[in-house]
Formats: sequence, C-alpha cells, structure tokens
Amino acid sequence: MRCCDVEALWDELRDGSEINREHVVAHLRTCPPCQRLFKQFEGVAYCLTCLPVVDPPVNLVPKIIEHIEATIRSARKPDCVAKLDSPIGTLYVGFRTSGITCVHIDRGEGDEATLQRMQARLRRGVVPVAQAPGWVSELLSAFFRTHRPNYDRVDISELTVFEQAALRAAAEIPPGEVRSYGWVATQIGAPNAARAVGRAMARNPVPLLYPCHRVVDSTGHLHNYEYGLEMKARLLELEGYVTARR
Amino acid sequence: MSALAPILGDYRLTVPAMSPAPARLTKGTPAPENFEKVVDEYQRRLYGFALRMTGNREDAEEIVQDAFVRAYRALAKMDAQQRAELRLQPWLYTITLNVTRNRLRSKRPTNVALDSLADPDALLNETQEGPDQPEQIVDRAADMILVEQALLSLPMHLRAAATLRFIEGRSHPEIAEILNQPIGTVKSHVHRAVRILRRILGPQVGRIAASDDFKEATDAML
Repeated sequence: MRCCDVEALWDELRDGSEINREHVVAHLRTCPPCQRLFKQFEGVAYCLTCLPVVDPPVNLVPKIIEHIEATIRSARKPDCVAKLDSPIGTLYVGFRTSGITCVHIDRGEGDEATLQRMQARLRRGVVPVAQAPGWVSELLSAFFRTHRPNYDRVDISELTVFEQAALRAAAEIPPGEVRSYGWVATQIGAPNAARAVGRAMARNPVPLLYPCHRVVDSTGHLHNYEYGLEMKARLLELEGYVTARR
Repeated sequence: MSALAPILGDYRLTVPAMSPAPARLTKGTPAPENFEKVVDEYQRRLYGFALRMTGNREDAEEIVQDAFVRAYRALAKMDAQQRAELRLQPWLYTITLNVTRNRLRSKRPTNVALDSLADPDALLNETQEGPDQPEQIVDRAADMILVEQALLSLPMHLRAAATLRFIEGRSHPEIAEILNQPIGTVKSHVHRAVRILRRILGPQVGRIAASDDFKEATDAML
C-alpha cells in the first residue's frame, strides 16, 4: 500500500472498521514518516475531543417551547387587509399589530382574487377590514410625501435572514436614485449573490415601503417589476428619478 | 402534561395539510404533539454543535431556538408516513447547520476569540481529584482556548466536517447525510480540516497529546 492510500484510511480506524485495518496498521508500523504524521493526525483529533462540553443554559428548553408557541400563535392569527387610495391607484395593505406586512397595488382583479393572492404570499389567512387604522394610512401617506416610511412599523420578520438584509439594504437607497442588484448584494456582504438579491426583490411582500423599485440592473435598465415596468418607472418618477427609456 | 399540548391540539385543527395524526407512532419521528420530548432530547447536542460552529453562546442559543421552530413547522406539515421515514437526528443537525450558516453569513466576520468557551475555573473543578498540578491545568485551559480558536478559523464547510466528526462523533455516512454531500467529499473535508488545524496548532498538538491516555490509545492501535 502506498503512503497516500493509507493516509486516506486513517480516519476510518476510528470507527473500528475492520476492512482495511490490517493493511493500515501494517503500513504504519513499517513507515516512520507515516507513523509520525498519523500520530499528529490523531493528536489533532484528540485535541478536538478534549474541548470541554458546554452545557446549554438551564432554561433553554422552556425558552424553546415558548418560542415555538409564540410563533404558532402569531402565525395562526390572520392579517387584516384594508383598501387605501393613493397617487398610484388603490392599495391593499395587510397589517397586524407588529406592523404592515403586505402591500399590493390593485391590478383590477377584484377583492376576492387579490385577497387570495395576498394570502398566498403571506402564507396565512387574511381578513378584510372596512377601514385602515390611523397609523396604517398615516404611514402610507407619509411614504408618498417623503418616500421614507417609518420602518419600525413595517414587519418583514417572517422573511429569511437574507431577504431581510437585502430589503434593508434597498431601503438605504435614497429616493430619486437607483442602485443595481449587485450593489445591494455587495452591501450585504455577498457580492456574488446579485441574482439571489433579484429573487428577494421579486418576493418583497411590502413593495413601495421597502423600495425594490429602486433596484435596477447593472446597465441602468429597470429590468423587472411585479406590477410592470410602467409602474416601476412611474414610482421612480414620483420620487424624482428620470428614467432612461429603452 | 406538556406545555405545548393545548396549543398543538388547536393547531392540528387549523392545518388542513396534516393528516389525522395518530396518537403515537411506534417508530420514526414523534408527532408534533410530542415535540417537547424531541426538544428535551436534542437541545444539548444541538446547542453544543452550534456553539462550536459559532464560538458564541448567545448565537448558539438563538440558533437552537430557531432550528427547533423550523423543525416543528416542517414536522407539522408532514404526514405520518413522512414522519415515520424521517431520520430525526441528522435532519435536526442539518437544520441547525442551515440556521448557523444564515446567521454567520449575515454577521461576518466571525468574532473569533471574543467569547472564549473554555472556562479555566470549570477545568480546575473538573480535575481537582486528578494528579495534575495547578499550573498544568492553567496551561491546559490556555491550550483549549487555542484549539477552539483554531477550529473557528477554519472555513465553514471544513469546520462543520471536523466538528461533526471529532466533537459530535458522527460517522462518515451520517455526516454525508447531514451535509448532503458524497461520503468521499466528507472524508476529504475532514482530512483537510485536520491538516489545517495541525498547521495552526503546531506545538500545542504535541503538548496536549503528550497526555497518558492519548499515548495509550495510539500505542494500542499500532
């Protein structure tokens, strides 16, 4: 057996596998360089096994259970959806006590279909309400005035860590300006993930508020938008950006 | 009964995808009703794993919490057949690893050495009965900190392989299942991790491995 073949089998000795044991041991006995390396290998493995076992905090189990219960409780409660008029047409706004969870620009599909769409996106039930509470309409009208909403009352906690980071980075783009998918990716420390950023933007449940419309492709073209490129251009124009039309 | 019971009973009614859950399954993974048992049984192991992967107690705690929530949700969507076929332990490790990855990705760079886990006092207490002299024990605590830091300096995939192999004591096929990689890849990752650690730790390896039980073990092998 060659040294390199034996080396590949060292780790298997630990499992007490008998298949190659004899060959490996025979080789190690007769090959001092391998024996030295083997002892070092085992030494490293031994160092790792010596690391102290750290006990979890005593209250970890109840904490976990409580965490699960809280998630189930909040997941089960449906979101409320209210209709609001805005400069770009009717908006369906989903919200719960923690904040606004979903924004949908009316595409003339009717209430029923739109609510179903929102339900699918949120992956939980929605209930229509006649009137939006004051803080919801105030947050939206502030957005159309300043284009900078109060993010404390926009709840994206159900999204993945990556999606949340991407949306937060997009929110850093000043109104009236655009940035590329690659820029967002770089901002969140994943410069190769421009496509993943694109996907996160496409899944943005709170368009307008988290301004995925300010993210364009690297050549400056608007690229894509859930509500059509016309709408993307219109939103950007409202914010003072002059769109270079294709 | 378990703190989860009332909520879970209710929960079952509102999840149409879930088949009428049998009261108990004879083998395979317990139904979500028994999830507290799962938490109880695996929390220690997953916490230890997350801790070695992150080097930070707070991170480890939050990772384990998130991992169990994810596991619970996934389990609630499975039917009895899927649950029976699920191999719980590797699956839980996989979830924990995914949560760890997401978390570390969003807060790079890893803060090595800020929160050292080897606690000299604990080591002192642990070995009080033994023949070691106090200065040796302090050396050993310092060595353990170096080992910890060396492990944390490995790239994520090598750290995962080495931790699962040597600290968690998993077999190659199990690690392959957890990491969703071919066995050959796992073996080579384990090997590469050890080579790098050997280079980083250098003289410490000799010192730590100079202990009697280690010598006995390798001598017996050869």
